[in-house]
Amino acid sequence: MIDNPYLLLGLFFGLVLLIFVGIKMKWSKIFVSPETRRKTAIEDILKQLYHVEYSGKTATLNAMAGALKLTHSKLVELIEEMSLLGLIRRSSDTIELSESGRDYALRIIRVHRLWEKYLSEKTGIHKSEWHGLAEKMEHNLSSKEADELYKSLGSPRFDPHGDPIPMSTGEIIESNEETLSHVKPDATVRITHIEDEPDAIYQQIIDQKLHMGQQLKITHSDDQFVKFLSEGEEYKLSTIVASNIGVKELNAEEISEAETIRLSSLGVGEKAKVIGISSECRGANRRRLLDFGFIKGTLIETEMEGPTKEPKAFKIRNTLIALRNDQADLILIEKTS
Amino acid sequence: MDNKSGQIDELISQASELRWKIGSDYHDKLTEGIYADAASITQRAEIRKDNSASYNFDRMLDKVLTSRTFGFPIMGLILSIILWLTIQGANYPSSMLDSLLLGTVYPFLKDLSSQLGIVWWIDGLLLDGIYMAVAWVIAVMLPPMAIFFPLFTLLEDFGYLPRVAFNLDGLFKKSGAHGKQALTMSMGWGCNAAGVVATRIIDSPRERLIAIITNNFSLCNGRWPTQILIATIFIGALVPAGWSGLVSTTAVIGIAFLGIFFTFFTSWFLSRTMLKGEVSTFTLELPPYRPPRFWKTIYTSLIDRTIIVLWRAIVFAAPAGAVIWLISNIDISGHSIAYYSINFLDEFGFLIGLNGVILLAYVVAIPANEIVIPTVLMLTVAHFGISNFGAGDGVMFDLDSETQTAEILQTGGWTLLTGINLMLFSLLHNPCSTTIFTIYKETKSWKWTSVATILPIIMGIVVCFLVAQLYRILM
Repeated sequence: MIDNPYLLLGLFFGLVLLIFVGIKMKWSKIFVSPETRRKTAIEDILKQLYHVEYSGKTATLNAMAGALKLTHSKLVELIEEMSLLGLIRRSSDTIELSESGRDYALRIIRVHRLWEKYLSEKTGIHKSEWHGLAEKMEHNLSSKEADELYKSLGSPRFDPHGDPIPMSTGEIIESNEETLSHVKPDATVRITHIEDEPDAIYQQIIDQKLHMGQQLKITHSDDQFVKFLSEGEEYKLSTIVASNIGVKELNAEEISEAETIRLSSLGVGEKAKVIGISSECRGANRRRLLDFGFIKGTLIETEMEGPTKEPKAFKIRNTLIALRNDQADLILIEKTS
Repeated sequence: MDNKSGQIDELISQASELRWKIGSDYHDKLTEGIYADAASITQRAEIRKDNSASYNFDRMLDKVLTSRTFGFPIMGLILSIILWLTIQGANYPSSMLDSLLLGTVYPFLKDLSSQLGIVWWIDGLLLDGIYMAVAWVIAVMLPPMAIFFPLFTLLEDFGYLPRVAFNLDGLFKKSGAHGKQALTMSMGWGCNAAGVVATRIIDSPRERLIAIITNNFSLCNGRWPTQILIATIFIGALVPAGWSGLVSTTAVIGIAFLGIFFTFFTSWFLSRTMLKGEVSTFTLELPPYRPPRFWKTIYTSLIDRTIIVLWRAIVFAAPAGAVIWLISNIDISGHSIAYYSINFLDEFGFLIGLNGVILLAYVVAIPANEIVIPTVLMLTVAHFGISNFGAGDGVMFDLDSETQTAEILQTGGWTLLTGINLMLFSLLHNPCSTTIFTIYKETKSWKWTSVATILPIIMGIVVCFLVAQLYRILM
């Protein structure tokens, strides 16, 4: 039995370090069988090809290798295997999906988008992590399991980023949205799609608290920046970020009255009328707020702030309800006097 | 026929096409439409009384109770008063129950059994083991609970507790928890099992699990006496007699605050790791104040909280009493099971600055923290062959005199380190079996029940280990 305290402390911290490194290294990755890894790589290539073709471009080996982070020789090997399986057709340096390859790709995309929908509705996982988790899940779920998930989610047609979810028959719509970077000044638009790749740009969009369904009034647009007003805030985005946001121009009847602001900006003692709950507020959170009466037309008043400024208590239908600021951000109101 | 099914197919494909066009938020719009219609229908049928006077009074009260200057001091004051009333007020009925159950009924039963000529081991198992453990738990547990819970329920009925959650939510939010956890945490100072039941008020699944798992870090009623006794013997003795009361009280309060620290730390850790995927919502209703219905409150809190928890405790304490008596009285080649167990646990005990007796006591006293000290005393006396104290093998006891208790413990090889680590281990170890059972009933999940059981004991072992090594290096 060791009883030297220095030695014991050394052993202890060594063990802690070992466990920490073990978690960081993600041991599970090492124990994946070669076949599974091959299947994952092939499915990733199919998905990439689908996206490239969907955007109207032709796929080249070089661009594919770069996008998928595969070595050239590995990619060529996989491509050859895929042509043998009849998933793709290749000419001298371009690659094309065959009919069965397209079906396969759509099945993967279906699982990916369904899983993002699941994460957004049924779990508390933050939206910045949905994509990464769905990337793993898309290779693990069978078509049958995907169909069950689809039913249990209430047969959704769109994922939380606004992308269409392919049907099990392969049916899908072509999107005809504009990107925010192309909208002319003075137009009023609604966000219908937020691209979650690449990560760095998606993170910027999240940090700006921009979300699906938000209504924007464009004030300025040039080669470098887009400026717009929304929910009482002013925004300025670089064109690169703005080109990752899909929008739909609204016609006169669809535009709600100009003075829409967020409940979080309503000061103590001020009164307002509820316009609605942002579509960013989902699942259990949304149902709770509806239960409490946060419905279009309801009168609301900020009653008091806690000693630490948050939460704030609001008077709605003669009851006091305390909400945190990130929730109050998602409730849209219109001030009344 | 063919024509008809062709039409149907066409209809279905048309419907499917339309579903793409209506967009992703039509479900939401539909639900909102239903809610809005329901609201407008009720508005027509509803008759409202004018109660603006009481509403304004409520707001005045709220202004004081949730104000930046007075909010926190008032909370601290009310909580201190409740804890003081509980600890002071429980002394008298506790000693009365003690002298009744252990001083009068116990000798009477012993007498009776010897007159009836009952075999010694049945007499020992039933009276010295089971009866003793149950009586002990009732005497220590019932009075403080019968004071603490009604007081707490009165505040709840009055409407003050939601304001406490409102005041503290900013703090709890930082660690990923719900403001209402402030209430379940304070309820845990009375009894962890009751604290776990109280987490029902948190309607968000993730925050509720956090509150359940961390409730054990609220130093419960059954552990206060241990803390006070050990602090008086080992920490109070470090300073001149005049200061010992103050110093040992500070040490106990320090342990309670350490518990609060661990509550926040563990909440923070859990919400970022294991519980990340659970659904999280936040709503807090601030109901109007109203005069508490005094007798009804007392009655329901006694029935709902005190009696149920006490009953569960008794159910678990009875077998524990039997085990304690049996391990001390079943001999294998000349020594009791307790003797072998203590020797087996001694080495590990030394590693974390405790000893075999303490570890064995914590194993057999899983059902109730109240019987840890009596078990420790009994095992120490038996193990070290101290002859002038104790009531016999397997019979728990405690002493009125702290000097005598200290004498026994020092013969058992206790040092300042043992005292400090026992206080730490008493805070950071598995919940009692009543609480574990309650956690299972509330979560219906073996996974979360095991996490709630094992996590604190790992923390306890690590903390005690580190303190022991540092103590040995520095002292």
